[in-house]
Amino acid sequence: MSDTALSIREIIAHSAPFDHLPDAVLDRLAAEAEEISVAAGEAVYESGTASDDIYVLREGMVRLEPSGPASAGASSRDIRPSDAFGWTALSSSAARRERAVATMPSRLLLISGTRFIAISESVRAAQTKQEVDVPAAPLATLLPETDTFRRQQNVSDSLDIFAFRVAQWFKSPKPYLLLLGYALFLGSWYLAVQVWKLPRFAQMPGLTDVVQEWTSRNPVYGVSIFTPVYYEHIFVSLRRIAVAFTCATLIGVPVGLFLGWSKTFKDYVFPLFELLRPIPPLAWVPLAIVMLPGSELPVLYLTFLASFFATALNTMLGVRSIDPTYFQAANCLGASRAQVFWHVVVPGSMPFIFTGLQISMGVAWFSLVAAEMVSGQFGLGYLINTSYTTVQYPTMVIAMLTLGIVGYASSALVRLAGNWLMSWRTRQLALDGAR
Amino acid sequence: MSAALNPARRGALTIDNAVKIYDPEGARVLAVDHCSLHIPAGEICMIVGPSGCGKTTLLNAIAGFHDLDEGSIHLDGRMLCGPGRPKAEVGPDRIVVFQNGALFPWKTNLDNVAFGPMVQKRLSRAAARDKARQLMAEAGLSGYENSYPGEISSGLRRRVEIVRALMNDPTILLLDEPYRALDALTKSVMHEALLETYYRTGITIFFITHDLEEAIFLGHRVVIMTSRPCRPKLIMDVDIPHPRDYTVLTSKRFRELVHATEAAVHEEALKSFALGEKEG
Amino acid sequence: MNSEQILPVSHRDLAARRGASPWRMLARFRRYRRACMSFAIFLGIWQLGTTGKSWLGHPIPILCQAPSPGAVLAAWGQLVLEPAYWQSWYLSFTRVALGFLAAASVGIPFGLMIAISPLFRGMIFPVFELLRPIPPLAWVPASIIFWPTQELSIDFVIFLGAFYTIVINVVGGAANIDARLIQAARSMGGSRWNIFRRLVLPGVIPSICVGLETGIGITWEVVVAAEMISGGGAGGSGGASGGLGFFIWNSYIGGSYPDIVVGMISIGIAGYLSSAAMRFAASKATPWLRER
Repeated sequence: MSDTALSIREIIAHSAPFDHLPDAVLDRLAAEAEEISVAAGEAVYESGTASDDIYVLREGMVRLEPSGPASAGASSRDIRPSDAFGWTALSSSAARRERAVATMPSRLLLISGTRFIAISESVRAAQTKQEVDVPAAPLATLLPETDTFRRQQNVSDSLDIFAFRVAQWFKSPKPYLLLLGYALFLGSWYLAVQVWKLPRFAQMPGLTDVVQEWTSRNPVYGVSIFTPVYYEHIFVSLRRIAVAFTCATLIGVPVGLFLGWSKTFKDYVFPLFELLRPIPPLAWVPLAIVMLPGSELPVLYLTFLASFFATALNTMLGVRSIDPTYFQAANCLGASRAQVFWHVVVPGSMPFIFTGLQISMGVAWFSLVAAEMVSGQFGLGYLINTSYTTVQYPTMVIAMLTLGIVGYASSALVRLAGNWLMSWRTRQLALDGAR
Repeated sequence: MSAALNPARRGALTIDNAVKIYDPEGARVLAVDHCSLHIPAGEICMIVGPSGCGKTTLLNAIAGFHDLDEGSIHLDGRMLCGPGRPKAEVGPDRIVVFQNGALFPWKTNLDNVAFGPMVQKRLSRAAARDKARQLMAEAGLSGYENSYPGEISSGLRRRVEIVRALMNDPTILLLDEPYRALDALTKSVMHEALLETYYRTGITIFFITHDLEEAIFLGHRVVIMTSRPCRPKLIMDVDIPHPRDYTVLTSKRFRELVHATEAAVHEEALKSFALGEKEG
Repeated sequence: MNSEQILPVSHRDLAARRGASPWRMLARFRRYRRACMSFAIFLGIWQLGTTGKSWLGHPIPILCQAPSPGAVLAAWGQLVLEPAYWQSWYLSFTRVALGFLAAASVGIPFGLMIAISPLFRGMIFPVFELLRPIPPLAWVPASIIFWPTQELSIDFVIFLGAFYTIVINVVGGAANIDARLIQAARSMGGSRWNIFRRLVLPGVIPSICVGLETGIGITWEVVVAAEMISGGGAGGSGGASGGLGFFIWNSYIGGSYPDIVVGMISIGIAGYLSSAAMRFAASKATPWLRER
């Protein structure tokens, strides 16, 4: 490390809150700290500005003047050389409550709060990995355990940390194992069908056949990423999922909420619900074809049914999972029954609702494919079936893989929507992992 | 001291011969046995007893979460529950601060604090939030308005919860072992914060704890309950003058008071342990 | 020392009256009454809907196509006497059992390996997660091509359905084991094998049980569908020898609609019985989870 960096490191190592950090963190911070100079009377930062940076005073003197509404009664304080300041704002991303002004020409070190967190985290993660050889729960923020370091994530920070994590991932063995795993899988497929020509696999389409077909501009059987009919099938399946899933959610969530919340409703409706639930949605196929007109409605109905039961059941479990003390507290504070419903029941069951929605999405695809295979026109399930009956096996595999991709994407979408709506929970879970 | 702060002299609580029988799965368990107690307005009354003895049941009856089988409870002369009305109405005049905390995790601290007046429609949402901001600043909690309860430490959470209760100007504050889950260092800070709040508002406090020293440090009177079924075993006035600070803990008088009561508490604790009661 | 002995004398008579309080019995009775009422309404709408023509003059749009409750009951009465019906039950049950057993015996070790070995997990889990979103039923045609007999192809699809669920639950359960427990064990000198046997395994058993319960429900789904698709598609053997799913499909083809509903209800009962059996086995395997 250069002389300047060494001397920076010395200064940092003696200033709170850095003084009890591990050496690895201090080294990295010192390497990244930026030096700035401020003239006498110049402001280092104004009150009310956004706060991300931490400052360490090298030489000179800085005065912190509180201003703004929340500072009534507080007095100014002076910062001496090798003291750090500006870090209390890390505890909440609220604006700075003080104005920092240099009272004589000063030199300061500037450390980005985001980088500080990222470095602490990576160092701590590396240490933890060596100690414990078991699947680790995600340890998101590993800041020193003082109150001031609990932090809110906002978008720019998470992008930064995301980029950092991606870089870390590439340095770990994970991507190489991933490639190895895929290579083994695809390799054995290729070998089994096309090289060794194992008898069992005689009729299976080979890897190269599928890939060639999928990516050719003029596919033999007419379906590839360059043909519009491929996207028509995808679109038809997606549209059916969208309609059925939305209906199931719009009906299932309220039904589930009421089942969990009102004993009367539950007494009347739940027995019927539990009577119909064990019947697999796919057992409804013939009846649905008989009862519902057209070929589209039975497919939608089956998908809806599967999705509905999963959503309603999980929502009900979600309501029942809410700690009763929240209800007691709300009642104490004067909430009416309707207000308890909106302020406690609905937000409290959100985590379960979103888990249920993810399951429901998976179940919806499950039923949709089966329904499409049996009846209906267009759609990925239909494509699989027809390509099987017309002995167009590469197309069949293409359709299967497409199903996997689209199914995964839709579940991920639901999960992301849930995380966004329940930011309070993702933060809490992250902090819980750190304790 | 409390008279000057509590000019309206609100919060006088009288429990008269309360009896509560639990009936889980047919085994009738007597939880509260002819318990009588009077708490004058503006007093901090500490209830000490072993776990599972029934003191939470008493608090629940006052708050209106459970009913009473016999006996009555009056607040400022008005009957909360009694013959003809076994269960008190739950309301913001008697707000409970719970053992494990009941701040809504899905609302920010500010929204939590503003919750009471807002749902009671006494203030508009904006006005409630302004008042909440002000009260939080008074309690030294500014800066945490926009965090969620899950992001702040448990000590801070308790303080926010107490502010949430105070927003509604309750007649009496019911505290159910609120500091039980905190470490000793945080607890001592919490005690001083609670006393500071009391000196500011003069509100009547009904505080359940199993910690004798906490009880003597905070309270005007300490009521030691027997093991289940509970009734007052020993009532002691704490004659250490208010305002108190942590130096009280090492004073001679404090030690004398602890000495006078710990035998009684220990005896009940042993009885309770022998019964092998589940945590109350 | 029970609670009666510590009561003062005046309350001994109160405590002596043990047994369910009248209030609780009343609540239970009210629940049953409400359940019966909703069943009655449901049956009533069903009956009215299917025979609406004779009641109201013109048929009710969707329901009129369905068979009436009476017809279903009559059909069921006849079917219980036919051995072919019970053979369908037997066939479906054996398929479920075989497929599920295979899925469990492969899935549980597989999941444990993923949970324990980072090497294995890094290699295998991404491939697993790629294949998982593909619904098992999408594998039916591929499975028919691959396996020599139709029976094996159905069993393979059934296996897939339960396999994914079980593995995910095992992995999730292992990840939830408190890392501190493992650290404590190691600090007390536990070898890797011992830690696995005494800590990881019991810690994972509840999740395995949940996985098995969910898995068996999915297995029934897949069985029904697979029987319908493979039996109804590529020409299965005639009659009711293809399991309950095939039975339903056949009834549809043959036009005996009341039999369809009988089949549906039969599957519902069969599925419920399997789940209940699984739950029972699970509660025996995890006595420490039983509520006090």
